[in-house]
Amino acid sequence: MSVRLADEPIVAERELAEFVGGLSGEGAVASFLGLARDRTADGERVERLFLDHHPRLTLRSMEEIAAAALERFGISSLRIVHRRGAVASGEAIVLVAAAAVHRRAAFEAVDYMMDRLKTDSVFWKREEGPGGPHWIEPRDEDYSAAERWSGRSCPE
Amino acid sequence: MKIGFFGKLRDSLGDECDVAVEEGETVARLRRRLARLHPEAAADLLGPRVRACVADTIVGDDFVIGGHERVEFLPPLSGG
Repeated sequence: MSVRLADEPIVAERELAEFVGGLSGEGAVASFLGLARDRTADGERVERLFLDHHPRLTLRSMEEIAAAALERFGISSLRIVHRRGAVASGEAIVLVAAAAVHRRAAFEAVDYMMDRLKTDSVFWKREEGPGGPHWIEPRDEDYSAAERWSGRSCPE
Repeated sequence: MKIGFFGKLRDSLGDECDVAVEEGETVARLRRRLARLHPEAAADLLGPRVRACVADTIVGDDFVIGGHERVEFLPPLSGG
């Protein structure tokens, strides 16, 4: 399991190539790349995001989510790379990948990790654009997306 | 004692500040003192959504901070 914070742009091709290069016979890799949007929820232009983080709790929260995914789904390996600091609109904020013998577990693990990262990872995000800076908080749909995993049994 | 701030609190109060802590001082009392010093952030500092953190653990308002080196105040998480 590889979980890390990145100060520099995420190069998805390189991350995935490294991830796949470390596998040993799995038949499926699912991945997700989250990008910084260029509009706020209200439609205003965003030039960049700033992701404030905690020196220990942020990585710890990501590692806890990764460990839960490993335990919950039938995946053999995973990777989470998350930016911190300034991220220009259009750049990747997060890359999540999971490998498994069969595809269903890999898909579900990635979906689960993203839902948890959206609500449980320790970040504070500030949108910056012509309208000035604005700190954002999780949306209700982020909470409900994370809650849908509560009580679900593991996929076979 | 060092008081650390994150997110929107960091914007208004800076990365950290030094505060002399009285014996038996609780998080709640520290919140009130900081709110008086920084009225622009009082609503956040006194509100339930900003959580206090000592030694990387979230603590309640009745937690006694004496003997610790640092208290941090964490606004609601934005998530990743």
